[in-house]
Amino acid sequence: MKQNTNNTTADRRGFLKNVAASVVAAGALVPAGLSAKDDPALMKEPEWGKKLGRPVDANLYGMPSPYEHNVQRRVHELLSSGDMYASVAMCPIQDLDGIITPNGLFFNRAHGGVAIVDPNEYRLIIHGLVEKPLVLTLDQLKRYPSESRIHFIECPANGSTGWRAPQFDTLQFIKGMMSQAEWTGVKLSTLLKDVGVKPTAKWVLAEGSDDSHMGRTIPIEKIMDDAMLVWAQNGEALRPEQGYPVRLLVPGWEGNLNVKWLKRLEFGDKPWHAKEETSKYTMLTPTGKAVQFFWPMEVNSVITSPCPDKPWTDLKKGDIVEIQGLAWSGEGTIKGVDISFDGGKNWTEANLKGLVLPKAWTRFSYIYKWDGKPIILSSRAYDDAGFVQPTITQEVSKMGVEGIYHRNAIVSWEVKANGEVHNVQVRDYKKEKEAIEKMQKGAKDA
Amino acid sequence: MLKLNKKISVFAAIAIAFATSAVAGEKDVKVKAPKVRAIDAATEYKVEKGVYAGIYKVNTQTSKIKKFGYGKKATPDEIKVNDIDVRYDWQGLPDGKGTPAKGEELYTKNCVMCHGEFGAGGKGYPVLAGGQGSLKNQLIDPSSGDEPPVKTIGSYWPYASTLFWYVKTGMPFPHPMSLTNDDVYSIVAYLLSLNDIQVGGEDLDDDTVLDKKKLMTVVMPNVNGFYPDVNAKNGAQNVKKFLSNGKNYGTPMVRCMKNCKPGKVIRIKHTLDEGIKPPLSEKRDLPKVKAGGAADNKYAKLFEANCKACHGNKAIAPVPGDKEAWAPRIKEGKDTLYKHALKGFQGMPPKGGTNLPDADIKGIVDYMVSKSK
Repeated sequence: MKQNTNNTTADRRGFLKNVAASVVAAGALVPAGLSAKDDPALMKEPEWGKKLGRPVDANLYGMPSPYEHNVQRRVHELLSSGDMYASVAMCPIQDLDGIITPNGLFFNRAHGGVAIVDPNEYRLIIHGLVEKPLVLTLDQLKRYPSESRIHFIECPANGSTGWRAPQFDTLQFIKGMMSQAEWTGVKLSTLLKDVGVKPTAKWVLAEGSDDSHMGRTIPIEKIMDDAMLVWAQNGEALRPEQGYPVRLLVPGWEGNLNVKWLKRLEFGDKPWHAKEETSKYTMLTPTGKAVQFFWPMEVNSVITSPCPDKPWTDLKKGDIVEIQGLAWSGEGTIKGVDISFDGGKNWTEANLKGLVLPKAWTRFSYIYKWDGKPIILSSRAYDDAGFVQPTITQEVSKMGVEGIYHRNAIVSWEVKANGEVHNVQVRDYKKEKEAIEKMQKGAKDA
Repeated sequence: MLKLNKKISVFAAIAIAFATSAVAGEKDVKVKAPKVRAIDAATEYKVEKGVYAGIYKVNTQTSKIKKFGYGKKATPDEIKVNDIDVRYDWQGLPDGKGTPAKGEELYTKNCVMCHGEFGAGGKGYPVLAGGQGSLKNQLIDPSSGDEPPVKTIGSYWPYASTLFWYVKTGMPFPHPMSLTNDDVYSIVAYLLSLNDIQVGGEDLDDDTVLDKKKLMTVVMPNVNGFYPDVNAKNGAQNVKKFLSNGKNYGTPMVRCMKNCKPGKVIRIKHTLDEGIKPPLSEKRDLPKVKAGGAADNKYAKLFEANCKACHGNKAIAPVPGDKEAWAPRIKEGKDTLYKHALKGFQGMPPKGGTNLPDADIKGIVDYMVSKSK
């Protein structure tokens, strides 16, 4: 065996020497003495194999490879309220694998900038219809028995640029106003034992301590069911962008209700009607009336591979390829996902893979042999609450196009013969207009 | 059905998948709904045998503990100082008074730069007045010339309490919680008058005094514009009822599997991709380092912190970027500039009055020069 090894090493050295000489001499694409079948990347020792790497103390808080610098959050002026303080940075979901979003890429929506809260000055105050109004420091809060849950958070405006027509050709801006983490904190039902909620308390105001003093009303049923106060995401302290040091977590509900930089909980007998549940986060319908207090994020899905950012331009006719994506529902657990190759005329079942958790991103997968012909790819999820992701026309025919929020209609990609992928919508404008006009007329007559 | 059967191999399953384009069988498949729904119509999950939702194990000791006893009791003053909200039934509205005339003055000083003259909006910031009668507008086809709905305080907001609360705790945007209660009353009075909203059955004149009692009589025009009714005694149950039926918001509860009619393919006509920052890229390459990028950044920050008080004001000292002012100075050469910066020159003390190391002072000079060439 030893003899054999030596021979191999000697052969290798000789071969490398020849390659090195020929590369220098020829300078051609395929150096002399190198077969066209040989991958040049494999035929030389790479640079990083010939020198020391970075010392282990170079980045004591680690960073991704510099080669991945294009994987980052992105912004758009049109998605802000005039500045980058009341605005949103979108998550590059096209570049994510699995179901957990790295903390540095988690989408970031703020209404008055990202507050940097001093944890030593942090206090949580709980009052209103309670037996014992309470003040907690951060350390005291973190003494409560903790639990960890994996949940997505999605801004209800996710996908809102698509109500009238498709406008973005990148997954990051079509569905990037959401991310998922493992959150750690205390269940409110546990903490509230120290407060003693009075039976007359039906609603809770949660208020942030940032510039916007974000307030939202949550019914007591949700507070006592699965709501949490969380201080950690994916194993480390919350990032400032996610409300460091403490945010409210209302699993599956509008991102805006998961109040960041949480300072105050007030228990009351009536809902509050805060600015973000009247002037915003209400859905104006064709009747001129608006839906309010639409808490959960509905069943939804999107194909993440391929997508406009991750096309099939490197595939050949007859190649086998995995189609995969994300499905989620704020109203329960994903039961299944259907996919369509003809823009939603006919559907077939995809497979779920990995963890299938309540109110959480779930991966789906379908192995496909592409014949090189153009297709329209769509996905449609359904959940254990009995809800099915609607077509665009089903949703618009009831909600119109001015609701801004809660757009969860089916997303479709056009895969061209050259493998390019583009955002398209499959819809029946005529039917939508007729339905909208009918609703408007009915409202006038009423 | 294409669910991978454990009995057949993965490859066989793939072969079947390739051969099949749609699920055979019935056209519409009903999706099973839960017997018990949570308050938001979601499936309700329980802890059973120490396991939540059939997935997460929980420490069952926790539920048996009656009290943890952490923290301290909040004092009445602590609650008073922090209880800053104004509920729709006016709970929390503080005393105070103001007039539209005073409000206009404050608006001109604090609000007009974003919300425009007379609340007309601009630069992406919300429009505050007008829009009455527009709520039924639906701009499905932008080329139609139709107008979209305009949602303002007067046309859309159901309660004036929200206006008071918003201005008091969220405005002015760059420095909230800086207005007195009287200031807020005045701004609220001005915004109500811009929207022609009456107080106690009368129009608000410039000098009408709006106080707590009068504000509490305001009924907004669109107070009945929202559903479901959450203010009823069991309002949350009304939401649950609404959400439980997908028909209320265009969500089907069956899956159409074959020969469905979703419509035509609509492609992008007007793309917004150009406005994305930074521009989209899927390249895996090394980031481009701007010449002197990191160093430049360091000295820019030092300049901001130590020099800008004077070198940000033309009347006091040459401002970086002012080429005309810098040209004769640059001509004297870097050594002279370094010397002046380190030893002091005319009105400037040595090192500009800082304790920075020489190297940093030189770096700042380089930064100022590079900005001014």
